[in-house]
Amino acid sequence: MNKMSLTFTSKLENEAFARTSVVAFLMPINPSVDEVMEIKTMIAEAVVNCMIHGYEGKEEGNIQLDVQYDDERMITIQIQDYGCGIENINLAMQPLYTTKEHLERSGMGLTIMSTFADDFQITSTVGTGTKVLIKKQLHVQQDESK
Amino acid sequence: MKHQYVDGTLYFYFYGDLDNLTVCNLKQICIDLIEKYRPKMVRLDFEEVTFIDSTGIGFVLARYKQLMKIGGELVICNLSKANMTLFHMSGIFQIMKYERNGVKL
Repeated sequence: MNKMSLTFTSKLENEAFARTSVVAFLMPINPSVDEVMEIKTMIAEAVVNCMIHGYEGKEEGNIQLDVQYDDERMITIQIQDYGCGIENINLAMQPLYTTKEHLERSGMGLTIMSTFADDFQITSTVGTGTKVLIKKQLHVQQDESK
Repeated sequence: MKHQYVDGTLYFYFYGDLDNLTVCNLKQICIDLIEKYRPKMVRLDFEEVTFIDSTGIGFVLARYKQLMKIGGELVICNLSKANMTLFHMSGIFQIMKYERNGVKL
């Protein structure tokens, strides 16, 4: 088992930092190109949600990111903000539903995360914050000797 | 991002990571170019794009709506396999055209 934690402020440029850091941390378990892309996308969706929705664009919020993997290459990612929270998670989960159409949001973030994850959970309390939990099982790679 | 305007068609070529920060920086430039040329067609080329997320889909949908108002058409071009997966999830191809082509700036 191996784990790491990052805390960073909700400045927009930290989203690229977050997704590249997670991928760098996972390099020892050798994810495939497709798996790297899916993980990067899930991190981007979750972190952008914290910034745009949780903290409503304010750049002084803290975002907590915890990543771990085990001997079976099961990855667990938790991303948390301490922002405004979500009133209706079922509504937020609807594909193409967004409260921020004026910011040109697509309403696809949660759909993308739940599609790419093997297990996806979201918990939120209004006024306290939102936490997403993502589990992703890496698959056995073929022809590793080549 | 590069762009060119030829015979009523406005081409946008994106490259690198098209993430939230990049889209925030490019959005207004694209809005203004469409307003300036009022093209019959806009082609968005993603061939050189290494990363995209739902922000990019939101951007494409918003440009589609912007073009609808001036009677223009939007075509998405040259998505990688991974980027195509993401676009398919949004059902965007039910309303927009997709093409592969060799037109380069």
